[in-house]
This record gives sequence, C-alpha cells and structure tokens, in this order.
Amino acid sequence: MKKIDKRFLRNKRAITPVLSHLLLTVVAVAIMSLATSATFIITTNVRETMGERVIVEDVWFNSATGTIDVYMSNVGKANIQVSNVYVEHGSQSFNGQSSLEVNKHGWLRIAYSWVSGESYYIDIVTKGGTHIASYYKAP
Amino acid sequence: MQAITKHLRQFKGRKRGISTVIVVMLSLVLITIIVGNVVLWSYQMNQLDIDRMHENVVIKDVEKHASFGTRMHIENAGPLSLHIVAVWISTSTTHQRYDADLFLNSGESVTYDRDDIEFPKGAFLAKVVTERGNIAIFSEN
Repeated sequence: MKKIDKRFLRNKRAITPVLSHLLLTVVAVAIMSLATSATFIITTNVRETMGERVIVEDVWFNSATGTIDVYMSNVGKANIQVSNVYVEHGSQSFNGQSSLEVNKHGWLRIAYSWVSGESYYIDIVTKGGTHIASYYKAP
Repeated sequence: MQAITKHLRQFKGRKRGISTVIVVMLSLVLITIIVGNVVLWSYQMNQLDIDRMHENVVIKDVEKHASFGTRMHIENAGPLSLHIVAVWISTSTTHQRYDADLFLNSGESVTYDRDDIEFPKGAFLAKVVTERGNIAIFSEN
C-alpha cells in the first residue's frame, strides 16, 4: 500500500493539464461572478433612479423661525435623499428630514430670508437626480 | 443517411469554437436579465404614474363638527378607488398634518368627521393627501 502511495506521489505526468484546467475554471468562475455582480449593481441603480417619486405636501413660510419649511412625502418605490435645495436658483442650506424611506414623510427646513408677498422658485434635488420644483408665494 | 451520420460525427468530434458559443450565450442571459428588469420596472412605474394622473379627489366642504371637531365632505370623482393618508389644516400661524386612513371607491362621496382636529378660527386651508401623491385643497376665507 505504501509502495503504491509513493509511486503515485512521484508520478508527475499530466499534472500540468489538470492545473491549467483548474486555473481556467477558477478564472471563468471569477469573471462570471464579476459580471453577475455588475448586472446586479447596474439594475439596482437604474431601478432606484426610476423609482423615485416625491411630492411636496405643504410649504410653510414660517415667520416664527424665518425659514421656508417644506413637507415632503416619498410616494415612490425607492428611498430618497435630498442632495441640494435651490431657492431662486441659489443653493441654500437645509436641515430636517433629508432622507426619506418609501411611504415616509417629514419637514425639510430651508434657511432663507423670505419677504412677504414675494414668489419664490424652490427646487429640491435628490441624489438620484429627481427635481421637485415649483413657485410658491409667501403670504 | 450515411452522409448525415458522418457529418454529425464530425460535428460531435469538433471542439473548436465551443467556448465562444458558451460566452455569447452567458452574455445573452445577462443582457436579457438587465433589459427585462429595467423594462418591467419601467412598466410598473408608468402604471403608477398613469393611476396617479387618473385620480381625482375633491373636498366639497369643511365645517365644524359637534363642539370642537372638523367635518369634511370628500368626493372621489375619478375612475379609481383611492386611499387618503393625510389631512392638513393650515392657518396663518400654524400648518398641522394629521394622519388619516380613509378609502373611497370610484364616484363615492363621504362625510369625514374628525373629533381630534380642532375646527380653525378665521381663514384656513384644508388639504387631503392620497397614497398615490395627489392633493385636494379647500380654501375658506
């Protein structure tokens, strides 16, 4: 039995083809895994971008805080994150609920000194590139 | 018959070009998955937008209910049933959102009483928000 084992270990014939096949299999599996992961990432990104639907339920020109408070609701099929807010085409700082999961809602507080009776073009941009823009008149 | 068998044997014996065919087939499978996924999702989102466009909710009237609450007369004038998820009462000093859970069939009119919503004094704006994202507004000066 020991003799057979030794002979098997010494025998080096056909090792190279086995190794090359093994390597080829590993490379093929790795490439296919990469391709499948890329497919998954691409489709997930596209779905997230296409699934964004946000509405503005209410805009409150809040005289107590001196801010413009926007109540947003996520009615789409993907989570959203507000990346920028523009008032009269100028970027403004904001705080509050900037990330909204599906079917969630909340206030977004925009720091802007508004004047009573004036109309303002408010544009809210999400990370997925959706714009929620309209004119709102301060009371 | 012999000729066919010969050709088949030759075809079976040949191993050239098989890997190319396998790669093309696997790539086709991946492309089909990507395109199918995107097309199906796009179809679903389009349907969502179409449903939202067809929705038509109207607030006919808002009045005081009992000694404190608010009564709203709401009509679904659209061809689809709808789900009201929120009620807004806005005055010059406050904008208040109240959660709601009211289903209306197509063409149905309902009287919606809320004892927890104080009927506002003076001018106010009442709104209802549907699950699909439509808003109906009623203004009282």
